[in-house]
Amino acid sequence: MGRYVGRQLLTIIPTILLSVVLNFALLHAAPGDPARIYAGFDTATNDQIAAVRHELGLDKPLPLQFALYVNQILHGNLGESFAYHRPVLPVIFERLPATLLLTITSAIIAVILGALLAAVAARRTFSKVDFGLSFASYTFYAMPSFWLGLILILVFASKLHWFPTSGMHDVRAGYTGYRNVLDVGKHLILPVLTLVLVQTPIYYRITRASVAEQQREDYITTFRATGMSEQRIFRRYALRNALLPTVTVFGLSLGYVITGSALVEIVFGWPGIGRLTLDAVFQRDYPLLLGIYLILAVTVSLAILLTDLVYAVLDPRIRLR
Amino acid sequence: MNQTRSLLTLNHLSVAYRTSRGAVQAVQDLDLSVPAGRSVGLVGESGSGKSTIAAAILRLLPENAAITGGSIAFNGVDLATLSDAELNRTWRWREIAMVFQKSLAALSPVNRIHDQLNDILRQHEPALREAERDARLSDLLRAVHLSDRVLHSYPFELSGGMMQRTMIALGLLCNPPFLILDEATTALDVITQAQILREVNRLKQEYNLTALIISHDVGVINATTDAVAVLYAGQLMEVAPKRRFFAAPAHPYSRALIASVPRLSGPRQRLAAIPGNLPDLLDPPPGCRFAPRCPYVTPRCSTAVPPLYDLGDGQFVRCVLFESRPIAHPAEETMA
Repeated sequence: MGRYVGRQLLTIIPTILLSVVLNFALLHAAPGDPARIYAGFDTATNDQIAAVRHELGLDKPLPLQFALYVNQILHGNLGESFAYHRPVLPVIFERLPATLLLTITSAIIAVILGALLAAVAARRTFSKVDFGLSFASYTFYAMPSFWLGLILILVFASKLHWFPTSGMHDVRAGYTGYRNVLDVGKHLILPVLTLVLVQTPIYYRITRASVAEQQREDYITTFRATGMSEQRIFRRYALRNALLPTVTVFGLSLGYVITGSALVEIVFGWPGIGRLTLDAVFQRDYPLLLGIYLILAVTVSLAILLTDLVYAVLDPRIRLR
Repeated sequence: MNQTRSLLTLNHLSVAYRTSRGAVQAVQDLDLSVPAGRSVGLVGESGSGKSTIAAAILRLLPENAAITGGSIAFNGVDLATLSDAELNRTWRWREIAMVFQKSLAALSPVNRIHDQLNDILRQHEPALREAERDARLSDLLRAVHLSDRVLHSYPFELSGGMMQRTMIALGLLCNPPFLILDEATTALDVITQAQILREVNRLKQEYNLTALIISHDVGVINATTDAVAVLYAGQLMEVAPKRRFFAAPAHPYSRALIASVPRLSGPRQRLAAIPGNLPDLLDPPPGCRFAPRCPYVTPRCSTAVPPLYDLGDGQFVRCVLFESRPIAHPAEETMA
């Protein structure tokens, strides 16, 4: 196990290097010129643009820029944001907790809810409950998250006034302590609900198919023959076997906790990484974007490693050497 | 075999599967008795209804199948009428256990053998202490010549032969009087099969087991049973003590079945395959279901299902060729 982790960590390094190369190349190949944006679109003279370009270091040959950037990263420095005029890392880390609170909360609720509903449906395949849940799962799976978010805001915030329309805090109230926690919780409900509604169907579909498949396995017949109750067979054996694919999907989805909910963050005015990323795209803030992508690559790699480890614990047929 | 008390008696048992194209009569009006202390072999080709009978006895038929008639008398109790809860509490595994055909997949792949066997034992012997249960498991494994190491393994870590021995140990877990072996050695190579068959015979003695041994392999039946029942397309064609069956098979299908087994000794001859296929059970031939493939077929074969004729010495055959013999009364035969 230890050797496996060590070796996987080593393979992560070239993966991340490759992603840095690709991100760098794609960003610089994409249209748009940061120097023009930061010099001011309409009013800047060519001299001013050239001065800004020099200041941002964009006048150097591309290979040299890349070499300098890699050198920076190796020294633990992700550069300075064009837009914020601050080092990239703190800008990202300021936004990280808000995003993680939103995405991890909803991912955990979605996987548990999806698996539970699937367990209910799969034990009565083709019943009314099963049809109802399957219909609902297709419906929500087909909905764009930003649209669903807007509808929820319209109904539960604008019309019913049950929840705030946007943001993470009630800025005017300035709560502290447990009232702050309650306040954040209240702001959290609608965006989490949106993410849960669009993510649950994935776990539901996978777990339902998996549970139904396990019900037909030979070992189920063995346990039935031994006089074990259906409920016990399901709880102790079928479910554990059925959850293996669900764990894989959940693990892979953890790789996207940082940027995966960008649209929902924007709709709800959530001060997270998703919004930061989109802003950085529009502002051609190369260092910030590269920093976010780098962190994304690291998280995805670690999530896959973590998934492998958890999978090995759940399924003894997988041996990590 | 009529002198001993019958432990399991199937009376007029019929089982049908519902399919999208109609009902399939998988077992038709079947009478069979297994006397206490004996082992009866149920032989027939794939699709003849052998495994359906095994599943019906333990009431493990799939949802689209049902017992449509008859009874399953075990020690005088009709298992066909009991609820799942009653079957689980008293009958399944405590009285009737089973060794399945696909042993490699017969236990959960992600749990250790010990945990699964222990869990099953705890269902039936809740009063036993953990240490007593462990001792029982170790004893059982020793009885099938496996080491304790197997208990701490996962199913995928065992060979086919070891897994089959484990499944036999599992069958003996609650010391049941009756064991069904459903193609228990089919997936094994011939050498392992021979070892397992020897062990099955020894364990039958040791544990005083009554057994129903299901196989498509006439050789396996010959090696392990006292009496043979021949099944064809859901109809019982012949029942006979083993020696008599192999010395003088009466039913044309029984003869064809024995002739289709390759022999290593004696003059070299062409293997006699049976021409034709099993009939479509959605629309079975009227009367004798073997008639379309039978070399001795007569017009009367298709008018009605022939009764079982009594050839004496415990041999019964369902074939009009023997109509000069007295008709057997299954109730007398099985309840004797």
